[in-house]
Amino acid sequence: MMSIILHECKKALTSPILIGLLVVFSAFNLFVIISSSDHKAELKIINEIIETYGLKITDDSLDEFNSNVQLDVAELNRMTASEFTSVYEFLDGLSFENQEKYSDEQWEFIHRLQLKEMYLNMAKSIDESYEGIDIRKLAAGEIEKYGLSGKAAETFLNENEKFFERFKEMVSNGEHKQWFFAGKAYYMHTFLFKTIFLQIIIESLLLIILTTALITTYEFENKTHLVAYSTKRGRKLMKNKLLSALAIAAVIVVFLFAITLGTFFTVFDYSHVWQTSISSAFNWEYNFPYIAWWDLSVGTFLIGVIALVFVVLLLFSGLTFALSVTVKNSYITFFLVAALFVLLWLLPSFMPKSANLLFVSAYTLPTLLLAVSSSFMGSSGLILFENFEWMTVSCWTVITIVVCYMSYKRFIKIDIS
Amino acid sequence: MLVVKDVSKRYGDFTALQQINLEFNTGLYGLLAPNGAGKTTLIKMLATLIAPSEGEIYYNGKNIIDMDEQYRELLGFLPQQFGYYKNYSPKQYMLYLAALKGIGKKEALKKIDDLLEKVALGDVVNKKMKKFSGGMIQRVGIAQALLNDPKILILDEPTAGLDPKERARFRHLLTELARDRLVIISTHIVSDIESIANEIIMIKNKQLLYKDSVEDICSTLRGNVFETTIDFDLLEAFRKKYVLLSEKQEYGKMIVRFIHKGVPEAGWKPVAPQLEDVFLYEYRDEIEGEV
Amino acid sequence: MRILLNEVKKIFTWKTMLLLLFINSLVYFLLIEFYIEYFPNGSGIYSYNIGLEKYGVTMDDDEFIDFKKVYDEIVDEATRYMQSREEFVAAGLDTYELFQAYDWGNPSQEASALRDDVFFGKKTELFWDLQERERLIEFYNFRKSIPEVLTDNQRDRLNELIAEEKFGVYTEIVIRNFKSYITNVGIAILFSVVLVISPTILRDRSRGLLQLQYTSKKGRNLFKTKLLAGYTATFIIITGLLTVYLGLYSLNNTSMFFKVRINTFIANESWYDPTFFQFIMLCVAAIYLIGFIFVTLSMSFSNVVPNMVSLIGIQIPFVVGFLIFGLNRLLPNMILIWIPKWLTPFSYGGMVIVCIIFIYYLIKREKKIDILT
Repeated sequence: MMSIILHECKKALTSPILIGLLVVFSAFNLFVIISSSDHKAELKIINEIIETYGLKITDDSLDEFNSNVQLDVAELNRMTASEFTSVYEFLDGLSFENQEKYSDEQWEFIHRLQLKEMYLNMAKSIDESYEGIDIRKLAAGEIEKYGLSGKAAETFLNENEKFFERFKEMVSNGEHKQWFFAGKAYYMHTFLFKTIFLQIIIESLLLIILTTALITTYEFENKTHLVAYSTKRGRKLMKNKLLSALAIAAVIVVFLFAITLGTFFTVFDYSHVWQTSISSAFNWEYNFPYIAWWDLSVGTFLIGVIALVFVVLLLFSGLTFALSVTVKNSYITFFLVAALFVLLWLLPSFMPKSANLLFVSAYTLPTLLLAVSSSFMGSSGLILFENFEWMTVSCWTVITIVVCYMSYKRFIKIDIS
Repeated sequence: MLVVKDVSKRYGDFTALQQINLEFNTGLYGLLAPNGAGKTTLIKMLATLIAPSEGEIYYNGKNIIDMDEQYRELLGFLPQQFGYYKNYSPKQYMLYLAALKGIGKKEALKKIDDLLEKVALGDVVNKKMKKFSGGMIQRVGIAQALLNDPKILILDEPTAGLDPKERARFRHLLTELARDRLVIISTHIVSDIESIANEIIMIKNKQLLYKDSVEDICSTLRGNVFETTIDFDLLEAFRKKYVLLSEKQEYGKMIVRFIHKGVPEAGWKPVAPQLEDVFLYEYRDEIEGEV
Repeated sequence: MRILLNEVKKIFTWKTMLLLLFINSLVYFLLIEFYIEYFPNGSGIYSYNIGLEKYGVTMDDDEFIDFKKVYDEIVDEATRYMQSREEFVAAGLDTYELFQAYDWGNPSQEASALRDDVFFGKKTELFWDLQERERLIEFYNFRKSIPEVLTDNQRDRLNELIAEEKFGVYTEIVIRNFKSYITNVGIAILFSVVLVISPTILRDRSRGLLQLQYTSKKGRNLFKTKLLAGYTATFIIITGLLTVYLGLYSLNNTSMFFKVRINTFIANESWYDPTFFQFIMLCVAAIYLIGFIFVTLSMSFSNVVPNMVSLIGIQIPFVVGFLIFGLNRLLPNMILIWIPKWLTPFSYGGMVIVCIIFIYYLIKREKKIDILT
């Protein structure tokens, strides 16, 4: 059994083009990471802050931080022989010529002070910003923006109420008062979970669809089907092919994740922020902070998202398998899976904006994959539902199993000629 | 007419054919050899599908590769396995090939009908080929090879998939054609060509072994082929001692046909050597090596 | 030629037609629909017709004076509107000038509410209209200024344009909409031709048809015919698709802009100065070129790779690489001064030369190669 599966795997692994693509994709990912890494040194400041003042932002730690910054400002004043109250005053009033006056070392100090002040100010303004968030009003705005009405609006408001409760809970727990890379300055969350993850996802999908189609239709395309399917193992070979395809899919995903994320976390030092809550106030990049339904740390969130993506990609391998077994032509299969992906993703746009169908039609694998940076969160627009991730994955696991089973059973019965 | 001069073919380190010299004229030639001996390589070189590593092939004094389309115009070729378009009918398929062979459409239509009739496919002219049996596909292949009334007809294993009646019909067709054409058939079904070939070509160890009439080839074993009856348990020993050509079980004993060069023993019946006997004798090492 | 026709017929099967329909529908709903359905949109609605109605293809100083006059008239209308509403008078905002001068950085509760009302309350479009006109006026006032960071070539070109009085004063929404539209149409067409043409040469190889094809009178010259058939099919597909897509584009009613020179649109400084219509034609030509270049690549791979999956796999980096790095620079922005002047002719020329070399070697190779299957 095992040796059959290994043989099937070999069919994909010995294709030079697929190996080549894996290499090209990895290189591309590394290129994107490294070319956007100019701010990696700046990011390290947060590690210092966490080490000195602890992970949580308390009144005490803020006070301590504040006094240290004041000391630095005093130092600045000594350096510049003036009476600034903040480094920004200094920078605003700085003329072009005076820039030359300070050594590189001094500029480093000034730069770090600038970052510290930025973080300090952001930390100080947390309470105020969060008080200014009116979840209900924002929900109303969303309803208008998307043009929801009727049942859809009702459902949305209901879920939003649940989110409101969670929001209040989170604020009172102080989950959001933990240090993280400044969202509006660095967009680290989007960069990792949207840009990089999306690349990995699309690349994996392409490779998985190709390898699964290759393995499944191999006998037909190489005209060995008459011999292969009349052996003792016979048509049950398809089961081996499915397992082999899933195995290869897993290898591809693990490989791409390992290389890409390995490089990412080597370049960007996350060593101190793993424990930070993903709902940190600093994780606020656009109009609204990222707020998860549960108290997830950055590390947990990362693992959760990786697991989610892994499972979904395997499901896609299964769906491709079911299609290949039926269609028997790898070219058409590839195209059909790609088309299916796009169609499922576009599904909500064909739904009426007053029915719950609008939301239901978003519980698809492509939607989940393409919005992975907003997983597990209530701040994600029309897919804010608490049950979105597990519901989508479970339903589609069932669908995939059923579809695979049905196509396999059909294959057992049909004529092969 | 067609001359193969000092032709060799190598694929990297492996030599398929070495220093082959042949001359063909009008008539029917059988190319007889076991699989892997280089039959198909030679055939493909004659068909311009592969180029010789050394040597040249001439038609009426001109190199066939240089002649380009003038040579191919005279060529009719049926490969061992050929491709076709499943959704085409034989008529559409042959129209497609007719265009490639430079035959005008009107003329082609007439020829196609005639030829398909000739290969007994007259009533499925417009049916899609994906519904055809293997034998029917093969007959379409034969028909297309004759489409341009070729002066040189090369057929690689043409009777695979044909039943005995079709084979007999095919033999008759070939004999007719060979009257004013060069017909080369590559096969290892000896009965197909034994009765109709003018000359048989046998290749052994990458080189030419025989190029002669059937009688002359058979005469190489004259007086060396015998038949006798032995007990079943003596068979094993017998096999080791002599080259066995065939064994048949009858009335509890084995009738064996075998080769012996030298003085015959009592009880052995001398028989006239057949082409298949020569085939089995000449290629015995290769065959035994395989088994 | 019958043979060429036969080869083209092999490409256009009903399955292929279905594939084309499908791909284009998908890409249409995914990328293209927006630019037809929602045009003009946003604040562009108000400037869509401005200028063209009265001033023709350029706006000279006199016409600008007239434009300012119209603007002033509308300002008066806005003032009258504000005065007709008590809340405005109460908040001390009873003229447009006061409205403009207000410190919107620190608004009072009432002022904020009023502002939201006129901009988002949908009761009047006056303020949007005024805002847009102000923007256009500002651009007109700055038409002769040149940004600091430029290469010498760019600076020279800008000075040239200024000297010829070719200012960017007309609203850019028309040209921007077209550029976005044609880029996405380009993507649809690229996918269409690559997906349809790639498998054609591979199919005959996989099926073992070469043995019969290459021993016929036509022989290995058939390969040239197959290439030609690929190009013919590409031409037919691109022409058909462009007809449909440009037909759809006409629903945007931008024909009155056709005679406007493209440098007259805001933020569209270009190396050359075609009219909008000529620019459209240029984009069409570019799409044909891109199609032919990629089809050459596809057919080359089709002749060499062992199976369909490899065929798809090997083309992915090329197509995706082009879409990410090349498409914008070579299609909508091909004559914009922000890309080097030599890039467009060099790239296209280079790619065409590479294609010619490919074809030459492929044909030569096909003449000599052993046909083993």
